[in-house]
Amino acid sequence: MTRASDWSPRRGRLFALNDSNPLVPYLYLLPHAAFFLVFTVYPVGYGLWVSFHRWDLLSDQQEFVGLTFYRNLFDPSTPQSQFFWKSLINTTLFTLISTPLLVGAALGLAVLLYRPIFGRAVFRAIFFMPGILSVSVMGILWRWMFDNQSGLVNVIRQEFWGLPVIQFLTTEGWAWVPIIVGTVWWTVGFNMTLYLAALGGISHSVYEAADIDGAGPWAKFRHITVPLLAPTTLFITVTTVLASFQLFGQSQVITNGGPARSTQSVIMYITEEAFGNYQLSSASAMAFVFGALMLVFTVIQFRLMVKDLNTSRER
Amino acid sequence: MNRKGKIGLALLLGALGTGGFILAQTQSSYTGPKVEITYLHGFTGPDRPVMEDLVKRFNETHPNIVVKATAQPWGTTWNQLEPLVASGRAPDVVVVNEDQITRFIARGALTPITPQMYRSANIDTNRFFKPLFETASYKGQSYGVPISAVAYVMFYNKALMQKMGVSKVPTNRAELLTAARACTTDKEGRKPGQAGFDAKNLETWGISLYNNWVGARMAYSAILQNGGSLVDKDLNANFNTPEAVEAVQFLVDLVQKENVARPNSTEEAELAAFSQGKVCFFPSGQWYLDRFEKTPNFSFGVAFPPRIGNKQDATWGGSSHLTLPVQRQGYDPNKRAAAMEFINWMSAAPQNLVWTSTGSLPTVRAVAQDKKFETQPISGIFDKLDSIYATSGFPWGGQVLGPFDGAWERAYLGKQPVKQALDQGVDEANKQIAQARPNFR
Repeated sequence: MTRASDWSPRRGRLFALNDSNPLVPYLYLLPHAAFFLVFTVYPVGYGLWVSFHRWDLLSDQQEFVGLTFYRNLFDPSTPQSQFFWKSLINTTLFTLISTPLLVGAALGLAVLLYRPIFGRAVFRAIFFMPGILSVSVMGILWRWMFDNQSGLVNVIRQEFWGLPVIQFLTTEGWAWVPIIVGTVWWTVGFNMTLYLAALGGISHSVYEAADIDGAGPWAKFRHITVPLLAPTTLFITVTTVLASFQLFGQSQVITNGGPARSTQSVIMYITEEAFGNYQLSSASAMAFVFGALMLVFTVIQFRLMVKDLNTSRER
Repeated sequence: MNRKGKIGLALLLGALGTGGFILAQTQSSYTGPKVEITYLHGFTGPDRPVMEDLVKRFNETHPNIVVKATAQPWGTTWNQLEPLVASGRAPDVVVVNEDQITRFIARGALTPITPQMYRSANIDTNRFFKPLFETASYKGQSYGVPISAVAYVMFYNKALMQKMGVSKVPTNRAELLTAARACTTDKEGRKPGQAGFDAKNLETWGISLYNNWVGARMAYSAILQNGGSLVDKDLNANFNTPEAVEAVQFLVDLVQKENVARPNSTEEAELAAFSQGKVCFFPSGQWYLDRFEKTPNFSFGVAFPPRIGNKQDATWGGSSHLTLPVQRQGYDPNKRAAAMEFINWMSAAPQNLVWTSTGSLPTVRAVAQDKKFETQPISGIFDKLDSIYATSGFPWGGQVLGPFDGAWERAYLGKQPVKQALDQGVDEANKQIAQARPNFR
């Protein structure tokens, strides 16, 4: 017979070889903590140290330069200031345009493909499949599609509709079109799958009740589907925004950041500074400033959306 | 390495069979005890089996030297070489490319190879093309020898030239202009200069110019031909000199004034247009040779880029060099001697001839005279292999080439006047150089 006292926590001794040892929970955490310290805390700390020095591997002494590389980002006469902020604006623009498309299109597709229509599984697979391609394959594909002269898009515009050629790859502004269209095509399937899973969690009885009340399809979508999917939308939006801010491969392959750095993303510029200019300390400083901005941004986003979520639940 | 072309084992065997050289065992300069040396290179593409086979042959013919070769992507090596040197674990021999070599030299990661070391290893440095050999030199010292080379060349479409009545491949500015005009026709069949000529709707055109870094190498070649350079004697950027502006202006005028090149074009679009017989001259890397050879019924030739400038023949080239990283104090002198013997053997004519099967140009004079090349299209540039210049000699490659490529893009696309684009590029480059200087010797 089990007595209640067997299950209550006991004060154990530090060196006792049983479950009552107060170190036990920490021992369970140890493997993860070790990886976390070695692969996250240490590199981040080391990166911070690098950003305060003029990092030189081949020298015994690393010159301490304090905030020099951070100050460069706020000194308009430096290339770092000019290009870092330009690339940040570029990346923000990309995020602002691509996120609503990626969330909206995913929701639309999920709602359409949740119904028992003919060939549903095939369509789901078709929309999901581009996501398994590597960014280079996807990038080359969309670069070809939107090439100024030989691209399919321009050929169709010209041959079938008699429209003038658009210089997609060499015109500021237009150069975003292949990048954004390519990204949506490439990643929308993943978000769609998340929405499909969430749709499966909505009880049919809610819709049946709405049917009895005489609600039409739009009213049901607006007043049932959207609010009940809100937690999923929050998750998808936050992850999509963070992924969009990490834009790199698409710009690299499709436009190489051009024309005139107009599609160069922050990560691309940090990479250029680190591995093109070999200014590793400067690149580290940029990475930390960018990371801090992301952190602030994510906190604000979570707060706003959680507030929104709570409000919609109270309704 | 993809850009270095890809020709399979068949060509390798062909080179071995028909080449004027025999893979004989050369006299080894190394007579010390048996040593093992490590060799790191980035030939990870179709050229990898050729390199592995050469290393195997070296090991077979040198009983007292064991070479352990490792192939890894170039970028990984560029990131790892300094840490490896700093920790005293650098390989004995490393292959470094032209765009990285001066950086590693100026960072103190590579060991100079003295004339005495060359003599001891029986390496006659005159066996190489001079500008190619000088790619690995810095402040009067040599740091390596070339084993692989690529160059910017001018492909020409024979059928289209014949159709347009162009019988001679242009070799200078005037000839290029004349030929390019003859090759250009709008959709209605009108020529540049004729009434109603529509420059926006070209059916055929003279020369391919385009916006990416490869396109920018045409501008680099033209600047060199005009006696200009990318950097001055203090290694600051100076690609906005009058010679440079004049050279780049000529190229931009081909688009904007002469209408014999397409505006706003990309390398891919020009590549397709050239293969489809729409453009007479396609300047680009010689690595496209293999692709054109495989295009059915395509009659093309390869020429040295015409002399646009008024000083000298010149074109851009890329290369890979065998180098000796800096080692810890107390490094075994036998290993160094064995490494030098390996460098000698690997860069000698018989091996270089084998290496050309990967699509590389000869790095050794004697190889360029081999009968194997006589009937091949690429032989069109062999008499000028001595005029190929790498973007080398300054440690801040990224800081100069990035802004240079950007300047060409803005000028070619007509976003800025040539002078303004080059001035802005030089300004940006020099700001970055000033920041980079403390990191270099």
